[in-house]
Amino acid sequence: MTAAAPESGDIAVPRWHPRLFRLPQHGYSAPMENLEVMTVFDRRLVRRRRDRAAGRFAAFSFLVEEVAERLADRLSAVRRAFPRVLDLGCHDGTLGRVLAGRQGIERVVSCDLSPAMARAAGGLAVAADEEWLPFADGTFDLVVSGLSLHWVNDLPGALIQARRVLKPDGFFLAAMLGGDTLIELRRCLMEAELEIAGGVSPRVSPFAGVRDGGGLLQRAGLALPVADTEVLTVTYADAFALMRDLRGMGETNAVLARRRGGAGRALFLEAAQRYAQAYAEPDGRIPASFEILYLAGWVPDDSQQKPMRPGSATVRLADVLEGPDRPAGACAGRQGDG
Amino acid sequence: MISETKAGDSPAAPRVDAKLLEILVCPLTKGPLHYEPASQELISERAGLAYPIRDGIPIMLIDEARKLDDTAASAEGV
Repeated sequence: MTAAAPESGDIAVPRWHPRLFRLPQHGYSAPMENLEVMTVFDRRLVRRRRDRAAGRFAAFSFLVEEVAERLADRLSAVRRAFPRVLDLGCHDGTLGRVLAGRQGIERVVSCDLSPAMARAAGGLAVAADEEWLPFADGTFDLVVSGLSLHWVNDLPGALIQARRVLKPDGFFLAAMLGGDTLIELRRCLMEAELEIAGGVSPRVSPFAGVRDGGGLLQRAGLALPVADTEVLTVTYADAFALMRDLRGMGETNAVLARRRGGAGRALFLEAAQRYAQAYAEPDGRIPASFEILYLAGWVPDDSQQKPMRPGSATVRLADVLEGPDRPAGACAGRQGDG
Repeated sequence: MISETKAGDSPAAPRVDAKLLEILVCPLTKGPLHYEPASQELISERAGLAYPIRDGIPIMLIDEARKLDDTAASAEGV
């Protein structure tokens, strides 16, 4: 498990679908007219996959559970009560159950694109699209999301919607799959497909990277943004066991540009063989990397710390540096510290 | 946020939680919704859409919403 430090001050130059980084529009147009957003994912297919996975999700929810615990840990570092909570993309309600009763949480509303998942979550459940949230402005003190936002086409738009339903000084905390997720599987599938079909079709979803994260949060108007990642490594008997798990999680490919008609058994056999050759551990099991990208930010509020306006200083810097109680030599000495 | 048509006690189907009705708006227009207990729908006049409630769960998906025709008869939810 490695963790990369957030690259603070490094405002992201988007490497991931630059066209996604449009400025937010005012008002809402119908989805069909929303052509500025690059449509990468087939959202109906995402929904069908989740609907299908809902019935037996408990058998495959280990990653969602693990991430829910980690989100709860992060939240416990925030000294504040969050009475009203929205679990955005709730799967079977795992995150809401983990959070219930902590941090002054009184009420969790769970929403998922899949009505079947929403039903599995129980409690105050709603079927809702992260890109079209059906909640009134300023409803929640906290919006949390565990492993769902990587399926959203308009991620900046979804974050703006999340911000909108938060109260002033509300907190947004999300975990989604990041750019290095399934890097081993991707490599093996690509090599196998190149060899068998002589071309490559996208078989694993594109993910946002940590460098995009900070910029996304700022675009959404969230203050004190933090983006960081960690990699969770899960081992499997073979590539087929990994694929079974991904299907069970409802996480299989929903990229619009995917080749239709399935990948074919030959391709997966070849990829599985390459996977084992390239990555198998001494015990024969293969590792699969899941990069978890965490995003956190606050809805701006006057109570938060913020930089002073340029030109608003009331004391000259020179006066501070060359003050009467501080000899010039000490100033020179201090420069070395920085 | 939501107004309600009084229709006596609705059938045995699980009722949508009133706490949800307080916070729901139309996902398209962000405007108010009108709750129809008889047809188990949330109506957005501005968007001309009726969102179904199934097993007490509001399905706030634009894809799933019924388009409101100009005839009021369709609101009976046949």
